[in-house]
Amino acid sequence: MTFSDDKPTMIEFKDVHKYYGDYHALRGINGTIKAGEFFSLLGPSGCGKTTLLRTIAGFEGISSGAVLIDSKSMEGVPANERPTNMVFQSYAIFPHMSVAENVGFGLRKDPRSKAEKARAVEEALEMVGLKGYGGRAAHALSGGQRQRVALARALILKPKVLLLDEPLSALDKKMREHMQVELIKLQRQVGITFILVTHDQEEALVMSDRIAVMFDGEIAQLADPETLYRRPMSKKVADFIGTMNFVPATVLSEAGGQVEVEAKGLGRVMLDATIQPPIKGESPVVGLRPETLTLLYDDQKATERETEGVVDEVIYFGDMTYYDVYLGGTDVEVRLSMRNVPGRPILDVGSKVRVAWSPSALVLFR
Amino acid sequence: MQNNGLLARIRRSEGASGLAIISPTAFYAILLLAAPLVTVMLFSVLTSENGHIVWDFSLSNYETVFTHPVYRAIMLRSLMVSMLVTLATVLLAYPLAYYISFNVPAHRKSMWLFLVTLPFWTSYIIRVSLWRVILGYNGVIDSALMDLGLVGEPLNILSNGVMSIVITLAHAYAPFAILPIFVSLEKVDRALLEAGQDLGETRLRTFWRVTLPLSMPGVIAAVLIVFIPTVGDYVTPELIGGGKVPMIANMIESQLLKQRDQALGSALSVTVMAIVAVVSIIFLTLNRRFLGGQK
Repeated sequence: MTFSDDKPTMIEFKDVHKYYGDYHALRGINGTIKAGEFFSLLGPSGCGKTTLLRTIAGFEGISSGAVLIDSKSMEGVPANERPTNMVFQSYAIFPHMSVAENVGFGLRKDPRSKAEKARAVEEALEMVGLKGYGGRAAHALSGGQRQRVALARALILKPKVLLLDEPLSALDKKMREHMQVELIKLQRQVGITFILVTHDQEEALVMSDRIAVMFDGEIAQLADPETLYRRPMSKKVADFIGTMNFVPATVLSEAGGQVEVEAKGLGRVMLDATIQPPIKGESPVVGLRPETLTLLYDDQKATERETEGVVDEVIYFGDMTYYDVYLGGTDVEVRLSMRNVPGRPILDVGSKVRVAWSPSALVLFR
Repeated sequence: MQNNGLLARIRRSEGASGLAIISPTAFYAILLLAAPLVTVMLFSVLTSENGHIVWDFSLSNYETVFTHPVYRAIMLRSLMVSMLVTLATVLLAYPLAYYISFNVPAHRKSMWLFLVTLPFWTSYIIRVSLWRVILGYNGVIDSALMDLGLVGEPLNILSNGVMSIVITLAHAYAPFAILPIFVSLEKVDRALLEAGQDLGETRLRTFWRVTLPLSMPGVIAAVLIVFIPTVGDYVTPELIGGGKVPMIANMIESQLLKQRDQALGSALSVTVMAIVAVVSIIFLTLNRRFLGGQK
């Protein structure tokens, strides 16, 4: 899952700041994006992710710092001369042109013959699964087809970097999931660096080699999906990526790389601070993902630790059931997820349960 | 009983209530537009004798319109003046509409549009008279240029009849051209312009390939709105050109009211209408082509 670090750098941000009047939209962005990487900028709306993408495309100037593409500073380079192409959120399909004219829009200065260009357009359409659609009017396409046209139109120019501004947000859920897989395949096929802007954490986790999580104009964490999910560097990131239960805790002692913690409802836990260095938070809490907690049935025994609890809420999802459980006679409620297997009944609200968990899955914020 | 039911049904029917709503307008349109139009068409194929129409069918009026050098010259002059006015108006209106749409901040746009329509608030006759003052011998332009020492003697633009008519009409019809062009430019999705640049085109090229074609419906609307009424303009040649450069409408007036040749006047009218209709159909077809791809 981790992306190899030996790949050359494609994009580098050096202390990028952007002001809109008094508003500080980008507050010192640093980081690199590797060649051939599927990279995501993830964050809530207004966090600056789209602004950052637009500084790469050249639609947005920066107030200070530098954006380098392929080791070249992009200062003063207009959008039409940058080695990037963009898939716009609205797709920006030219309504007065056919599908083929849209896809071939950027080929005007291409020295190839008309016939060769037409073949290139047909190939690009085939790549996105729209073979034979060239003669259609652009306005007659569905949302998913428009997006494919936008992709073909950008990829036909063989950019060094493809920028995708929330390209899937306008599609329905089924179509979105389908396109996610198609985009991953397409990226592997063409080997171009993809940079995706999204507010959907699930989408970012599914698609990306690495993700930069942004809050308030800053990168809060830049890591591969698994690290982000397992080892979020702040409570805010942990909360934004997936679901995390936070359990109040007190630190009892610290010695030799071991931290002893008393977590409410879970009891005393020894954490290895060398593997799981504590993360800065306001008051100490331990975090657990729902799937690291398991309900024990009948005479099942926990492999590591177990805690008693009472079911407060049951949320049925078909393949999964989420249970909100009060831990060990306290008011601490955690959510846990159980796969629904045949023969295992869905529990009722108020059931007394035993919850198994593992100290190694805990993340300490303090 | 049955009658009541029928009445109630008529009262309830959407078609009947629709007709009731439009009937005053329809009556007005039929009486004041359709009826005179049919009369003119009928007169054009009859014969005038001593100021009266006699029921003597003939196409000789049309023969005169198309063969008589004076009528042909005036017809062509009218069309040329109209085309010049249309060209000047649209060419000058486009940049202004573009500026209002793309450069004026959103909250100021309505003020700009209001300012554009401001000349309307003065009567056309007064505006024409003012153009006489501005363009005439020793008028505003002449004295300004002479005081600045740029020209030695008065230019007397007014003496150039066609040019003064074009200037006056272009000014008068500018808002009619600016508004439709503005509306079509407002509808252009700004992301399309970014897409054009993103795909390697300069801003100028993007304008040429994206903005201009997408604003063509507005341009064509402007062309029609300016061209159709200016062909038949009657006041301006009379007041500005002093009747020395008559256009077709002046000729029609002269035939109908002074020469009392209603048949020939009618034939002239029908011919102009036909020409304007043909030009309009050409432009509307163009418009459909541009609109074709869009929602």
